[in-house]
Amino acid sequence: MTYRLNRFLLLWIGVLSLLVSYGYAQEKTDASAPAEEAKQLTLANAAMCESIKEYIPQNPGIVFSTAIGKILCLTVFDPVPQKTVIYHNWYRNDELITKVKLTLKPPRWSTFSSIQLRGADKGPWRVEIADQEDRIHKILRFSITD
Amino acid sequence: MDNMIFFLSTIRWQDVFDIALSGYLLFRLYVLFRGTNVFRILIGIALLWFFQRISVSIGLIVTSWAIQGITAVAALIIIVVFRNEIRSVLQAKNLKSIFWGFPRSVALTPLEIITDSAFELAKKRIGALLVLPGNEDLTEAVHSGIPWRGLVSQEMILSIFWHDNPVHDGAAIIQGDEVKEVGVVLPLSHREDLPSDYGTRHRAAAGLAEATDALVIVVSEEKGKVSVAKGTDIRVVRQKDKLNEILQNHVGFSTKHWGRIRKEKLELGVAAVVSFVFIAGVWFSFSRGMDTLMILDIPIEYMNRPPEMEILSTSANAVSLELSGSGALMRSLKPEQLKVRLDLAKGSVGANTFSITPDKVSLPPGVFLKDIQTDAVQVTLDVPVKKQLPVQIDWAGTLPQGLLIAEASYEPQVVQVLGSKRILDKISTIYTEKVIVDNMKESGTVTAKFALNPASLRIAPGSKDRVTINYVVKKREVEE
Repeated sequence: MTYRLNRFLLLWIGVLSLLVSYGYAQEKTDASAPAEEAKQLTLANAAMCESIKEYIPQNPGIVFSTAIGKILCLTVFDPVPQKTVIYHNWYRNDELITKVKLTLKPPRWSTFSSIQLRGADKGPWRVEIADQEDRIHKILRFSITD
Repeated sequence: MDNMIFFLSTIRWQDVFDIALSGYLLFRLYVLFRGTNVFRILIGIALLWFFQRISVSIGLIVTSWAIQGITAVAALIIIVVFRNEIRSVLQAKNLKSIFWGFPRSVALTPLEIITDSAFELAKKRIGALLVLPGNEDLTEAVHSGIPWRGLVSQEMILSIFWHDNPVHDGAAIIQGDEVKEVGVVLPLSHREDLPSDYGTRHRAAAGLAEATDALVIVVSEEKGKVSVAKGTDIRVVRQKDKLNEILQNHVGFSTKHWGRIRKEKLELGVAAVVSFVFIAGVWFSFSRGMDTLMILDIPIEYMNRPPEMEILSTSANAVSLELSGSGALMRSLKPEQLKVRLDLAKGSVGANTFSITPDKVSLPPGVFLKDIQTDAVQVTLDVPVKKQLPVQIDWAGTLPQGLLIAEASYEPQVVQVLGSKRILDKISTIYTEKVIVDNMKESGTVTAKFALNPASLRIAPGSKDRVTINYVVKKREVEE
């Protein structure tokens, strides 16, 4: 009798062990998928605007008057897998005017750069949003007018 | 001696040919027109030109101006007045006779028959006028002639001037062995030095002889004398032999045949030498006369450009050349007569420097290159390529108060552009022409052309040349 009980317990222990090991393996696989996705730095939003209020761009547009005095380029990255830097490259008529280095921190990060507007700045502009591998995530095109 | 050797060494074969050809043409003009009034007038015009140059050189303003005017008018008059003579030389003769050979009067005229006829007419006291033309055309000098075209014979000449013949009153023109016209009315001479006993017949003979190079035989009805009029000379001829000799001299054949040929050859030889010396003098005054220096800017012609390349830019479009030559040549020099050619066959992409050497300069004869003031020209060559560029709208103007253009979509977003590689490598965006925002009060659509800068850029075939823009206008939010 004792022998039969032992054999039964051993069988169940074996079955449970298999189930536990399978379940663990399954759990491990499910957990690794989001981890892989999280490695990609992703630009969630980018806009040219007149100002920023509570991380929301105010008066986003593509034509800005020099009269407003200042414009900003807001970029929102989500997710940010690890601490890194991005660049806002400001061009006027294909000429690089300024290159602004900005730091991003996990898990998500909003950041911006800005320029002061002068009369001489009128013309077509673009801001290239690039990471540290010089991969361009987006180009924002706009004009500065009277 | 050294100077002479240097001078001879500078003469090209073209110069020798130039002088020979022009000299020969002048000599041919002399051969064709000698003995005619045209030739005398040509000499007159040449003298006028000579006097005009002298009056210019010594500063006679009005005289030189007047002679210049007369010379110009005289050249025109000679063509109008002597059109018949010119036509008879250029038209009646074949091309070979214009450029080769020496025209002589037809020697087939039966002179003895004419001589015998003249004296027979004189013996019978029959008045007569016999005209033997020279080189000049008589059409303008005479009129009212009746065509006859009969072979010359004593009987025919006697019958023409027979009293009862209706045409006996005029002159008979004898050309070759043919009586060409009869009853011809000749122009009367108005000279006052002619003997008083000369009647109308003699005055007619003198009149034609003065006006042309024809010889006229006059048979006096009253005195039974034979006279000959040639040029301004009119004289009685008493012997047949003398008349025969005069006629032979006139038509170009005489018993002193070889002597006359020698004389004619000598005359032509002198004329040929004078022609060549004259032309050589003119050539010398043109090409080796007073040295004049001149600086001209000559446009560069680029040749043999590799077909796959285009000229992007050049450091100079013209080359300054310092030239020398005679004053007459330099004054008449035109920039289009000079060429500076650069061979681009060995050019490569990028900046190429080409030296301007004398072998790249072509000059008209008689003009010499003293210096090239532009040593080298830099030519930038490039290969045309096609590049896809993103399009960007170039907004301009002033937005209406309180509004902003929030976003815009446009088509096409990229466009293929053709242009030189060096230019396109520096361009990463193609902009539209300025899109004015002043009247954009609400959302809408506009179109705009591309601003191709530099102008050498082109939109590739198949790409749209305009951009359609849909824009969204919103109210600006004013911060509180």
